[in-house]
Amino acid sequence: MRNTLQYVLKKLLLMIPMVLVITFLIYWGLDLTPGDPISYMFSPDQLANIDPQKLAEMRELYGLNDPFFIRYLKWLWQLLQGNFGYSITNGVAIKDLLAQLFPATLELSLAALLISTVLGSVLGILSALKKGSVGDNLLTVAGMIGVSIPQFFFGMVCIVVFALNLGWLPIGGRTAPGMTGALAHLKFLILPASVLGISLTAGVMRYARSSMLDTMNKDYIKTARAKGLPEWRVNLVHGFRVSLTPVVVLIGFRLPTLIGGSVVIETIFQWPGIGNAFKTAVTGQNYPLVMMIALFSVLAVLMASFLVDILTAILDPRVKLE
Amino acid sequence: MQQQAIITVKDLRTYFYSDKRCNKVLNGISFELYKGRTLCVVGESGCGKSVTASSIMQLLPKLSRIESGSITYHAPDGDIRIDLLERNGKEMRSLRGADIAMIFQDPMTALNPVYTIGYQIGENLKYHTTLDKDARRARTLELLTQMGISTPEKRIDQYPHEFSGGMRQRAMIAMAMSCNPKVLIADEPTTALDVTIQAQIFELMEKLKTEHDTAVMLITHDMGVVSELADDVAVMYMGNIVERGSVKEVLKHPAHPYTSALLRSIPVLHKGKNQNLQPIRGSTPDPYDRPKGCQFGPRCDFFCEKCNEMPPESPVCEGHSVRCWNADQVYGSAVKAGSESER
Ligand SMILES: Nc1ncnc2c1ncn2[C@@H]1O[C@H](COP(=O)(O)OP(=O)(O)OP(=O)(O)O)[C@@H](O)[C@H]1O
Ligand SMILES: [Mg+2]
Repeated sequence: MRNTLQYVLKKLLLMIPMVLVITFLIYWGLDLTPGDPISYMFSPDQLANIDPQKLAEMRELYGLNDPFFIRYLKWLWQLLQGNFGYSITNGVAIKDLLAQLFPATLELSLAALLISTVLGSVLGILSALKKGSVGDNLLTVAGMIGVSIPQFFFGMVCIVVFALNLGWLPIGGRTAPGMTGALAHLKFLILPASVLGISLTAGVMRYARSSMLDTMNKDYIKTARAKGLPEWRVNLVHGFRVSLTPVVVLIGFRLPTLIGGSVVIETIFQWPGIGNAFKTAVTGQNYPLVMMIALFSVLAVLMASFLVDILTAILDPRVKLE
Repeated sequence: MQQQAIITVKDLRTYFYSDKRCNKVLNGISFELYKGRTLCVVGESGCGKSVTASSIMQLLPKLSRIESGSITYHAPDGDIRIDLLERNGKEMRSLRGADIAMIFQDPMTALNPVYTIGYQIGENLKYHTTLDKDARRARTLELLTQMGISTPEKRIDQYPHEFSGGMRQRAMIAMAMSCNPKVLIADEPTTALDVTIQAQIFELMEKLKTEHDTAVMLITHDMGVVSELADDVAVMYMGNIVERGSVKEVLKHPAHPYTSALLRSIPVLHKGKNQNLQPIRGSTPDPYDRPKGCQFGPRCDFFCEKCNEMPPESPVCEGHSVRCWNADQVYGSAVKAGSESER
């Protein structure tokens, strides 16, 4: 127990320098890209007509004239005081913005994670147990296609088929005006969640299959059979339980990319989530928002690796946290 | 003394299939396991010892099957033809772990790393007895104690990686013995352990055998183990039992050239350094390209025209039989040498 506590503390302390380094690098990268937020706030015609004096004043006002390192420190200082900053383009507090974006992304991500985990593990295990069968070969091919098809293409096809041609589901968005009830809301979720979920399934499936094949060749599976256990118990209680660990690790490491929002899927389906906002913020050079989302993702990555460590220790008694 | 057979194997053939080729791994073997007696199965690596064990347990890999012959378990309430049972069917499963138990070579890998020792032993009890949870735990504790594991109350909730190799094998034996099996099959149970631990494990098995009147089939490479523990021996070569009989007879008066060559190729304890060891010449044939007739023919000193045909199993004397056309010659010289050294 004390070891675990020590471990948690150590991990948390280690996160501080990591966060500093990573945010610094992102800030720097943003600084190196051409243009600044002011040049994106106005159309080129307007920009040409504005008094350069005024532009310079605006730059001064937003603190864009300071040296890069000073700006980074200022940003950091504000952050430590709990001031997440304001979106440059529309002046909304980023705190409020995130509070709006995050639930949307979380909803989509959890739905996709659920779909890919359940579908991927079940198909992977069936495929391993029926190794070499027609079904296994079909799944392997489907998995290969699934891994190689780009998400945007798959998403587009699904929109064309299920939204435009069949008209079963809405094209995109998260809510419609005057919409009430969870069921109506679910309609909007189904398509993006399925596309994201299915595109993640292939990886989980391949992982689960190879992990399961590996486990089923182990001596203790033979021991379990020699005990006279029924096949389902040999496969699930002894086989699946052990092959679960690597699958959980894979899913755990995917968590941050999902929490950071899937840029592609959220854009195609006009899902008002973090990924979508991130894309707009990057193209608009909206530094404060980009930085906050980046920070958010970095924290998610670190927390996920932490979570994976703890889950592995829970799943595998041989692993000790230290 | 009339022995009571508990398992009778008759002319068993088990074939493996791969890439449309057929490996006749067991090519007509016959033997019996007797109540309260140990049968040691010896032979070179790859001769089919483990496959024999797997055949009795119906634990063969997917691409293999029992082609012909029979395995009969003489259960208290009537004979059961094991070879006719469905592989993972209900009847076969009710025998495994209850009437016929097995322990494996490597205790490091034979226990599931994510469950406690107590859970894994309890699982066996759960499927073969009507004991409830508390009773199962009590029985598991009792078993661990019997196997000589100290502080069983603590050990029962530990995971395999917290056990040493010898302890794990004890736990495996506890698992195997949990339902008082009639037959215990041990496939090289001590190969992965060091010598002192080996002796302890064998002592334990010997004790359990006498206490419970279990029939033991012990697969081993070690002739020392055979002379210590065996009541009967079966010598295997390339899928045949070339010679079998009581341990005294077979080790003292081998009637098959392979057995006698095998005995000459290994050092004997307490005979000093200057033993005249003769390795068996040649090497084991490719299982897919087997010699005609007697499998040992190409390596045999007694090879003759007749050997191109497989010799039948014929008795040498009471409880000692051999598959060799020239058995009389081999046996005769063994008896002569034996009586000379006694003089
Ligand atoms: N899973 C398998 N797949 C294909 N062939 C196998 C398999 N298991 C055993 N065999 C074949 O069966 C033959 C006998 O193998 P077996 O494992 O019974 O030998 P063994 O006498 O137990 O040897 P060892 O002393 O090394 O354990 C070998 O020729 C081997 O090629
Ligand atoms: Mg073997």
